[in-house]
Amino acid sequence: MARKPINFKTTVVENREHRLGTITSWDGSASELAELSNYSLGDGSCSSKGRACQFCEQNSPFVQGSSCSESMVLCQLGYVRGAALVQHSPVGCAVSQAGLNTGFKLGLKRHYTIENEEYMMATSNLEESDMVFGGADKLRQAVTDVFERVHPKIIFISSSCATAIIGDDIDGVADELQEQLGIPVIPTHCEGFRSKHWTTGFDASQHAILRQIVQKPKKKQEDLVNVVHLFGSDVFTPMFKELNLRPNFAVDFGTVEGLQQLSEAACTVGFCYTLSSYLGAGLEQEFGVPEVHAPQPYGIEGTSAWLREIGRLTNREELVEKYIAKEIKRITPKIKEFKKKLKGVNGFVSTGSAYAHAIVEVLRELDIQVDGTLVFHHDPIYDSQDPRQDTLAHVINTTGDIPFFSVGNRQQFQFYQLLKRVKPDFIAVRHGGLASLASYVGVPALSLGDESSAIGFQGILNLGELIIETLARKRFSNDIAAHVKLPYTQWWLDQTDPYILAKNPGLIYEDDEDTIPVEVGRVPVQLEAM
Amino acid sequence: MALSKEKKVGIKSKRKLKTDAAVCHPLIKTSTIAGTYYGCSLASMYTAVAIPRVIPITHCGPGCNSKQTAIGSHAHQGPGYGGGVVTPSTNIGENEVVFGGQDKLRDLIASSFKVLDADLFVVLTGCIPTLIGDDVSSVVREFQEKGKNVVFADTGGFKGNNFIGHEQVIQAIIDQFVGNYDGDKELHTVNVFASFPFHDAFWKGNLVEIKRILQGIGLKVNILFGHESGGIAEWKDIPKAQFNLVISPWLGVNTAKHLQKKYNQPFLHIPVIPIGANETNRFLREISDFAGLDKEKTENFIKQQTDDYYTYLIYFNNFYSQYRMMGSPAKFAVVGDSAIALSVTKFLINQLGLIPTKQIITENPPEEFRNSIVEQFQQIDAEFSPQVEFWEDAYSVSKSLEDFDYGSDASPIILATYWEKDLAKKLHGTIIELSFPIQNGLVLSESIVGYKGAISLIEKIYSTAINYPSTMG
Repeated sequence: MARKPINFKTTVVENREHRLGTITSWDGSASELAELSNYSLGDGSCSSKGRACQFCEQNSPFVQGSSCSESMVLCQLGYVRGAALVQHSPVGCAVSQAGLNTGFKLGLKRHYTIENEEYMMATSNLEESDMVFGGADKLRQAVTDVFERVHPKIIFISSSCATAIIGDDIDGVADELQEQLGIPVIPTHCEGFRSKHWTTGFDASQHAILRQIVQKPKKKQEDLVNVVHLFGSDVFTPMFKELNLRPNFAVDFGTVEGLQQLSEAACTVGFCYTLSSYLGAGLEQEFGVPEVHAPQPYGIEGTSAWLREIGRLTNREELVEKYIAKEIKRITPKIKEFKKKLKGVNGFVSTGSAYAHAIVEVLRELDIQVDGTLVFHHDPIYDSQDPRQDTLAHVINTTGDIPFFSVGNRQQFQFYQLLKRVKPDFIAVRHGGLASLASYVGVPALSLGDESSAIGFQGILNLGELIIETLARKRFSNDIAAHVKLPYTQWWLDQTDPYILAKNPGLIYEDDEDTIPVEVGRVPVQLEAM
Repeated sequence: MALSKEKKVGIKSKRKLKTDAAVCHPLIKTSTIAGTYYGCSLASMYTAVAIPRVIPITHCGPGCNSKQTAIGSHAHQGPGYGGGVVTPSTNIGENEVVFGGQDKLRDLIASSFKVLDADLFVVLTGCIPTLIGDDVSSVVREFQEKGKNVVFADTGGFKGNNFIGHEQVIQAIIDQFVGNYDGDKELHTVNVFASFPFHDAFWKGNLVEIKRILQGIGLKVNILFGHESGGIAEWKDIPKAQFNLVISPWLGVNTAKHLQKKYNQPFLHIPVIPIGANETNRFLREISDFAGLDKEKTENFIKQQTDDYYTYLIYFNNFYSQYRMMGSPAKFAVVGDSAIALSVTKFLINQLGLIPTKQIITENPPEEFRNSIVEQFQQIDAEFSPQVEFWEDAYSVSKSLEDFDYGSDASPIILATYWEKDLAKKLHGTIIELSFPIQNGLVLSESIVGYKGAISLIEKIYSTAINYPSTMG
């Protein structure tokens, strides 16, 4: 199968839905979805790879706020050490700067325990008059201000919905400033409305890095492994030490030098293919750095296969086998203990796509029953198009099917029915908003804020412990469940199919008593006990 | 658009600042903001969320709700019944940008009535519909004509910040939902416009305390926001109130003027939210006089509250009078929006006898109010005149605060935001996060105004300040 090469001649990354056929709404079983994706399984029914699977996806007329590509760029390029990021945007896009700043400091602690590293994210602060006359001057102002204030090695520019619509030439301004200031000034096109899913923001960030930062390799660093990571703990340095390897982090918490040397590494790995797909394939295409095409590093099978592929690419097969044997010996008795404690426990996973597949594998490693999973989007394939990276097929083949497998972009209103279907004891999440609903109906959440907790052999033990802690918090959730009023109508709470509005959008115009204007002083509906 | 390559960088703000204090600073003000103190006008969706059982609907891009949750959730206060991920949004995509988003919005409003349990929906706009020319008001009017409870605030994203949006949302509800009224007024009933919900992290506790003390002197209070508000039933009663009370330097004044025109309601504007007994007593007496309340009832309530307050303050004296043994900070700086900055500054000078340094106002108040804001600060005390500056960029705020001679006893208390944390370290000072954005704090019911809030504020300040004794102690 001929893979369409990634086009690096343009500053604008191709949307994920165009490249990979990404969908954001679907309901069925994991095995059905894996077959329709036609990656490593399937009969070719969704036969044109790279095009959106349009007959599978139905959009609901009711939808709650999502997230955008620009937000992802902020927590990718914005987190490169030694760089600064200018949001070419009105102030609204920048209101989350404080939270991002906190996240950056936390991430630094998790990596290098350095607390105070200079970090800057600024907005060009476009106002009404700029919409009429253009915002280029303010962009020049912001980039120059940032340069004079903190002397970063690189300045990234992110675009916003407003700047894309008014047509500001951020590429032209970036080129001009690059010449003037003598440092790379790199534009990214990541305005929210461009893509139907926020993960295009990861691709936009990585596109910028591949185009304008990664340098032609000066030498080969045979012990260097590129690790595409977010802001979790650095579990790779100690793991790789046992294999005489070193990690080179990208994009978050990578240094400018480290990013320039991505081309010199022996291979590239990630903790989640949803994140690393583009960068991994791009490094292989443009610089010949092989991407590790293997299951993700979770659970015993996944981790072993991942390590073995690293071992093969770096000529360290023996060291890898030693490490795997040692670790399995260490964790096996502890896994047994956790299995005893967690007997009969039922969990629901809801995170970004490939990471959810990974968490299901780890939970099932502990004999936890997983009947339902919600992923925020589904990529039928990844950029490498290598079937060894089919994470959905891997979790099905290794641990069994997931009967209730849903795709939805973090819609809280659907989550109620999804939980009702399987009545889990806890949920495993990573993004805000769903855990609060789960808690309202008595289901506590394991919040995987540190994505590294689940990685590798140790990750299985970590999750075991975290789940026990989470289950203890059931006392809190059960208590407030008896007192909370959910913001949904009784009509919605009575529904059993969370996708009913997508399948039958005409329902929203049917008159019934819930749509009659509410009288003042109406008593709110009571929550139906689950 | 042709780009002028000859245009120089380092463009100074064209805005002429009328206040001397603000202009004297050598830092150049540019348009850049590195470290934000407010959101865009769409963030005023939280004004709707703050009214019980009212839910906003946003017509905007896919990232806007998530971002403005930074306001709804700062100080980890929780984004409320209809906020956060609950809020429906059109999540505008390329298709709507090209062909218009009105149909998607129509479906969203109709389906919101089906799925969400609310007494009123408030539709707000972000940048995109404003730029592509969606006729949102006609879509909303379709529903209004069918008798559905929905209003439209043309917030427009880049058209202003959330302070501006706040009054737009209030006026939209008044004009489109509360409607006309020419009936009788109810004596001794007041509508209160105070404490900017969600943006002011202490809004819930503050409104509880304000309602409590107004009730104490005999008023029936429409507090309008927060869990002690009666929701839309209470808002429907707005026109019947005897008067409107605006407690803030400027936010709410335009609304009160609008209500004066629409319902022939007088308003009393008290620029300083009272903190501490002296200020709160003065506040209550002024309102009592204005509203023609029973003087005896007012004085009785004041006496009771004052006795209670001084009981605690006298206990505090043991610590405060001797705190210098380990070095107590004598100077303070304030960074935040004008309401919090003014009230806290007045309390710290008048009640605690602390010495002001710089007071930095961050919400970008409209020009017409700036002189009066500065005057309010200058009227506080005969001896100490705080240096007032207006900045919206955290980088500049820190630079400005650094560039001040705090004297040899230099470990100021900095009542500010998350952005000033590193600066406080540099100055060997104490940081108390009181204004947006608060990252290192969790606020649920805490108040910092009135009688009870003053005591809380003292506890808050000194629980932290103890760890940062004065450099000369």
